[in-house]
This record gives sequence, C-alpha cells and structure tokens, in this order.
Amino acid sequence: MANQTELVNRSNGRVEAVQQREAIAPVVDVYENADELLLLVDVPGATNDGIDVQLDKGQLTIVAKRRDEAPGAPIAAEYRGSDYLRVFSVPQGIDPSKIDAQLSGGVLKLRLPKSESVKPRRIEVKQG
Amino acid sequence: MFSRFGDTNLDFTLLDEFRRRLDRVWEDMDSSWATQPTNGRTHSSSAWPRINLYDGGANLVLKADVPGLSEKDVHVTLNESGLAISGERKVAPPEGYSAHRQERSSFRFSRSLTLPCKVNPEQTEASVKNGVLTVTLAKAPEAQPRQIAVQAH
Repeated sequence: MANQTELVNRSNGRVEAVQQREAIAPVVDVYENADELLLLVDVPGATNDGIDVQLDKGQLTIVAKRRDEAPGAPIAAEYRGSDYLRVFSVPQGIDPSKIDAQLSGGVLKLRLPKSESVKPRRIEVKQG
Repeated sequence: MFSRFGDTNLDFTLLDEFRRRLDRVWEDMDSSWATQPTNGRTHSSSAWPRINLYDGGANLVLKADVPGLSEKDVHVTLNESGLAISGERKVAPPEGYSAHRQERSSFRFSRSLTLPCKVNPEQTEASVKNGVLTVTLAKAPEAQPRQIAVQAH
C-alpha cells in the first residue's frame, strides 16, 4: 500500500505525475507447495513485452501494461483498458533469479521457487 | 495584537486539519480503486464479461475481457434481436498446492445485447487473443455509412 501512494497521491498538486495511465489491481490466486509459490494473475489484454515483475526488498511488484487500440469510435464502454499493478509482500527465502513468468490467454503464471534453506525437510528418525 | 495573531493561527490550524482530512478522502478513494481487486465477477455490476463496443465505419467491433478462456469456452450467437455471448469459465486449483488466496473464480456467464444497426451475419468473425474476445460484425449494406457529395450551385 505504502508504495502505491506514489502513483495515486494527489496531495501535492504541483508535482506532475510521471505515469498518467491509471492502473487497477488484477485478481490473483496464490498457491503454495513445498517447492514454490505459484501466482495466477488475470491480465487480459496484456502482452509479453508489457509485463514487468520485480522482487525487491521482499516486495513482489507485478506490472502489466496493455495497449488496446480502439478499432473505431466507442459506442458503449464498460472497461477502460487500464494497466495492471499489484504488490505483494513475499516471505524470505525466495530466489529472485529463479522467478519464472509465463503469459497465456491473458493469465500470467508466476512461479517463485523457494531456496533450499527454507524448504521443509523431513527428519529421519533413527533407530536408537 | 497578540490575540489577533493567535486567532489567525488557530484558523490556519483548522484549515490545515480540514485540508488533511480532505486529502485522506481522496487517498482513501484512490486506494480503494487501486488496491481492491476488481473481482472478475463483481465489478460495479454483476455482468461478466465487461464489453466495449466500437463503431469502425463499415463494421461494429465488440471487445470483451475473458482472461483464461479459449475459443472453445466462448459461444457467440447472432440472431435477429442481437448478439449473445455465453460460456463457462473454469478455474481449477493446481494439484498438490495449498491455496493462500483465491480471487479468480469459476462461473458460467451469459450476456446479450442489442446491436445499434443491422449486421450481415455471414461476415461475422470472432477470435480470442491475450484473453480478449473480439467480435467483428460487418454492417448490413443499408446500414453502411454513405458519403453524400456536396454539390456546388
């Protein structure tokens, strides 16, 4: 939340916003298993080159830009084709270099593999 | 003189407080827009998918956000009274994972709309790309825009 105020804060009217396009929060599913965190993000209209995923200081920032070209004069509009932005706090032990992102059919699939040190380990009980 | 100054000061304090509260109002409103996920199903209305309709001159173009759906999942029907879009969105949780958050949901959907002019059903195309459904409907000959030559007298 705190880092989103940069984008939406209107209190200082003299400073011009760097980014003019509005961004909405996409719906997200978050799953976890022993090896990784899996995020599924609905970003219809976004293309591969518009997607930016960053993990910095424990915060995962997902940005997906869409560039819809209006095929004519709008008659009725129920959505505005906004960009997508969502920020998550990620637990320690995720290796930023191994994050894998795939986009298919407007759904972004993010795999965040856990590093070896935080994976759950089964302790063998030895016969005494 | 002193008391005067004090009064003014108080007024400014009140103004400042008022301004701060107003700022919060905007922030609250902005943040509720920006950080609340617009759940695929309940975005201001329960209609899903959301539809944009464009007039492209010789044709009408309909666009709708259908993330995760493929051509097989969407049915587009054209009849006398208009256009209908229906289908089912299935979201299956992956095997062997526990869920922390599930905002994407499975549901059936169906929407129909009246078109603003007659269209030629033979020349209608629909496709799904990057989770966006595009339906292109050619206008019927009588609904095509016609250029009227302006004559000089």
